[in-house]
Amino acid sequence: MRTSLATLACLASAVSAARFTLHIPNTPIVNPSTLPSTTYATLHSSGAPIEAYLTRANSFNFANVSAGSYLLMVHCRDYAFHPLRLDVSVEEAVEGSGEKRELVKAWQTFIGNEWDNKGELIGEGGNGVVLETRPLGQKYYFQERQGFSPLSFLKSPMILMALFSMVMIFGMPYLMENMDPETRAEFEEMQKKSPLAPSGENPAQKLQNFDLAGWMAGKTDSGSNSRGASPAPGSKKRG
Amino acid sequence: MRLNAAVALAACLVPAAAIFEDDAYHIDFHHALLGLPKHDATFFQKPYPASKASLLFTISENSTIGVVNPRDGALVWRQAPSPYASGNGLLRSGEDQDTVISAIGDRITAWSSSDGRVVWEATADGAIVQDLEILEQEDGITNVDAKDAIVLVGDGSQGVRRLDGKTGRVKWSYQDASGDVPFQVSSSPTTIYYISLHNTLLGGSKLKVTSLSPITGKKIDQYTLNSDSEIQDHEHILFAGANTAAPLLAWTDKANKVLKFNIIGTKAISTFNVPQSVVEKIVLHAPGRVNSLPHFLVEYRTATGLSAEVYHVDLKKNTISKAYSLPETTGKGTFTVSTSDANVYFTKITTEETTIVSSVSHGILGRWNVKGSPNLAGAYPVHGVSEVVVKTGKPSAVRSAVLFSNGQWALIRNGELAWTRPEFLAGAVSAAWAELPEEETLAHELEVEGHQNVVSAYFHRVQRHIRDLEHFPAWIQNIPKRVLGNLVSKPEESTIDEIQHDTFGFHKLVIVATQGGQLAALDVGSRGKVVWSIDLHQFAPEAVFQSPSVKAFRGYVEIKDSAFKGSLYVNSTTGGLLASKDIPVQPPVASEGQSLISFDLVDGILTGFLGAQSIPEAVWTFDPPAGERIIGYTARPVKDPVASIGTVLGDRRVLYKYLNPNLVLVTTVFDAARTASIYLLDSASGQILHTFSHNDVDISRPIPSTISENWFSYSLTIDSTSAATSRGYHLVVAELFESAIPDDRGPLGAASNASTLQPSAAFGDAAKPHVISQSYHIPQEISHMTVTQTRQGITSRELIVTLAATNSIVGVPRNVIDPRRPIGRDPTPSEAAEGLTRYMPIIPFDPKWHLSHRYDVVGVKEVITSESGLESTSLVFAYGLDMFGTRVAPSFAFDVLGKGFNKVQMLLTVVALFVGVLFVAPLVKRKQINTLWTI
Repeated sequence: MRTSLATLACLASAVSAARFTLHIPNTPIVNPSTLPSTTYATLHSSGAPIEAYLTRANSFNFANVSAGSYLLMVHCRDYAFHPLRLDVSVEEAVEGSGEKRELVKAWQTFIGNEWDNKGELIGEGGNGVVLETRPLGQKYYFQERQGFSPLSFLKSPMILMALFSMVMIFGMPYLMENMDPETRAEFEEMQKKSPLAPSGENPAQKLQNFDLAGWMAGKTDSGSNSRGASPAPGSKKRG
Repeated sequence: MRLNAAVALAACLVPAAAIFEDDAYHIDFHHALLGLPKHDATFFQKPYPASKASLLFTISENSTIGVVNPRDGALVWRQAPSPYASGNGLLRSGEDQDTVISAIGDRITAWSSSDGRVVWEATADGAIVQDLEILEQEDGITNVDAKDAIVLVGDGSQGVRRLDGKTGRVKWSYQDASGDVPFQVSSSPTTIYYISLHNTLLGGSKLKVTSLSPITGKKIDQYTLNSDSEIQDHEHILFAGANTAAPLLAWTDKANKVLKFNIIGTKAISTFNVPQSVVEKIVLHAPGRVNSLPHFLVEYRTATGLSAEVYHVDLKKNTISKAYSLPETTGKGTFTVSTSDANVYFTKITTEETTIVSSVSHGILGRWNVKGSPNLAGAYPVHGVSEVVVKTGKPSAVRSAVLFSNGQWALIRNGELAWTRPEFLAGAVSAAWAELPEEETLAHELEVEGHQNVVSAYFHRVQRHIRDLEHFPAWIQNIPKRVLGNLVSKPEESTIDEIQHDTFGFHKLVIVATQGGQLAALDVGSRGKVVWSIDLHQFAPEAVFQSPSVKAFRGYVEIKDSAFKGSLYVNSTTGGLLASKDIPVQPPVASEGQSLISFDLVDGILTGFLGAQSIPEAVWTFDPPAGERIIGYTARPVKDPVASIGTVLGDRRVLYKYLNPNLVLVTTVFDAARTASIYLLDSASGQILHTFSHNDVDISRPIPSTISENWFSYSLTIDSTSAATSRGYHLVVAELFESAIPDDRGPLGAASNASTLQPSAAFGDAAKPHVISQSYHIPQEISHMTVTQTRQGITSRELIVTLAATNSIVGVPRNVIDPRRPIGRDPTPSEAAEGLTRYMPIIPFDPKWHLSHRYDVVGVKEVITSESGLESTSLVFAYGLDMFGTRVAPSFAFDVLGKGFNKVQMLLTVVALFVGVLFVAPLVKRKQINTLWTI
């Protein structure tokens, strides 16, 4: 850092041109020494932007910045940074003395907002001021692919339905056998009453003739189909 | 924090069609290129003194500094300067230093050797750096710390400066007001020599050597060498001993007949005759180390062969003597010099073999036969650098980084080719997707069948199928391989044959033309493999290529350049030249009663011509208003299929799209008023359909634009010197509809035979589209934009923008930039059903939209897109300094199984089900029998 400042000291030749350093401190998000060397900062006002590459001291050195209002951005492949507003002005050091000096001021700025809408003051000072900027967060370029997980597989409705019917197919006969005769008789009676219960005629034909609307309306007719007044949904399943 | 909130909100709203991590680096490729390396600025060097392995440093002809790992050719770091830098690039490094120092234009920068970070920067204050050397020794003692740099500047304030090796601060400066042409600086342990060319009245140049004190920079001595009879040009100076044990000046005459040497610091000139009669080029190779033996080699290149002479310098007597000569061998090649301790070795590299000799005697110490490679077929070494490993006083291994004449930079390790880098591609100026002849023939035959009567078409078809049967055995044989290859993801290899039989159409060739007149075909589907490359100079020997342009036709490409008249036609699959009689002439078809109108920019005025006539006649002109000048125009792509002619609203009504194939977007700027205007023209009639105008635009920045389907977009930079309320960059998107009212087709609606040129009886009346536009703030400047293309246009499009600042390519989904996003309110349920979200003034470029993800795609000039064989997928290729290619699926890959589909798992499931069936079958059978018995 000291060396870079010394460099700048000898470089600043123009009088009304400011120089400053933008430093990236060590943060929990990233150790700035691990940032790629393609990281650089631009200072844009009009025309081509002024560029400064990342130095060994984790900072960007800008020299010969003439007075004006600039948009300061750090471009990095892996991390995002806040855009900053940087104003360079020439003021009298002591009022009335006539001695001019540069003043560098930096704020946060918000893209898509008015330029005068400034955020937090990052820093201010004369020539050679050191400003700090911190990374906002890492850039994630990739989308995670949804891998196969048994739980999500089991959660899928198709699988649930299949499992349920498996239980019905294999479990029901077993249950029936274990029932005591009275309940069993009752159950069979109920099944006979059910609209889809097998009785004599072709079950497919029966299904075709089934009057769904009537059944849902709770209509009972004593035709060829004997229907229960309020069949339980579960009883539709044929065991 | 507001920005954070906005970013977070936007990220939630947008369904990101990002790249999957396992697809990255597989479906995409990136050639990180440098350009042709410069001979004097390429060297092997340890990145820090204690390092075991050395890296290969170079600066290329386009001033890109690159560091390559000599083991595999991978880029360690690279710094591409801003495109505004001028002057030639210089790169030097001191021994046992952890920095390399570069000078490009007026900027002198010290970079950290291992990672490419800036150590210090200095400017020459407007002057251009002519030469740069590292001061290795001072008063005969080697510096242990950072070594200082000696800089020669010209073009402005001329002189020599010494920069501190730690900080870049100027230690002293020597001004030269003589007006001589600064040439080079050289240093000896005690003196710094500044060599300039003093032009005499007769046209020749005298070499003027000024010796300076390294400590104070004061002039010690000055002398002039009588070289004006030989030196007419910089070219005739072979060598001006940079930091060698024997600082030498060597020059030759125009005919390459005489060699003259001067040991810098003495006034004596030694003259030697060139052994061969006709020598094309003389190159001097001297070791670059201070403590090596003062021996050097002079290489003579003739039209057919290569020979060399080795000279020794006696520093005590200040004499130069010839030690031995190496006999001429046929075949082109080059010599390189390398040192080990004080010993100097010369390596001769030809297309056949690598040999090493010591500078002391002519005995061959090592010889390796070079194995040929298809990448280097027909090419010969141009220049190179070598590193020799010496064991017990004998060189045991050698590796050489050699630039070949076809622009491949290769590393040859003990005769074996370790890697090649296609550096010639770095100057790509034009590219086009090749249309392959194979698929075209099928299309052509189908066309024939379509036009014949039923019976003959049927016979034609049967014949075609019988002919196809010859591929059947090969196809059958390939099945097991293909199935296995599908299960175990195989490394993708491609040949022309495979590209032609590619089911998904991902393997598409891009024909790239470079500034230097090279033409190459890259297979985008197999990670950008160079399928063939040719030098266009063999077809047009006299031409000096400026910027060749490529245009693709069926099976061949047409190359045009200002350097020659007419065009070259090159076969897309082989790279062979086609004679004009081989080319099926396909004049643009215009049916009866129609005529074609072409347009071009002529003298700043866009003019439409009636193309069919021999002398084109201007039918319309677009002359921008006074003060404005046209900076560019974009036309709707020729192949731009549109699947639906309307946009279906949430309530099932339809907004009809304004689909005009002749849309042209013209960008103009008004320099004085700093305004930019966009004109939408109809290229058939020349009528202006719509105009946008923007105030306070930074007109020095690019204004890219694109147009597709019924929408267009462009981007601008706000000028900060104005009183604009905001700063940054704008992206404007506009969509064209036939009418503002749903279910209405505007003036074209009722008539069955309408014309966009003249919808009503009134003369000059045009059907003006209804334009909806929105503009957004974007965080970065866009340097180029284009739109994805798919086969049928069913897949939603994606705007592909190039961000020069972060060297990335971003695909912006179309629904994000839909100009119908409701402003200032939440979308109504029917708008939400359409997928519209509330308008937000900023579009942050989500990292998940970055197609180039972690690649640094530097210097992109243009991005081109093409359809693939699948409707869901569009191919993208970017060129410029780097080459980048990928494929995008803006509406997700709905017609192809991705990597997420586990084929092994599917097979296992089938097997498990089969086992289950086997297990259950007896059960079922028993039950069926039981049921029969119970009845």
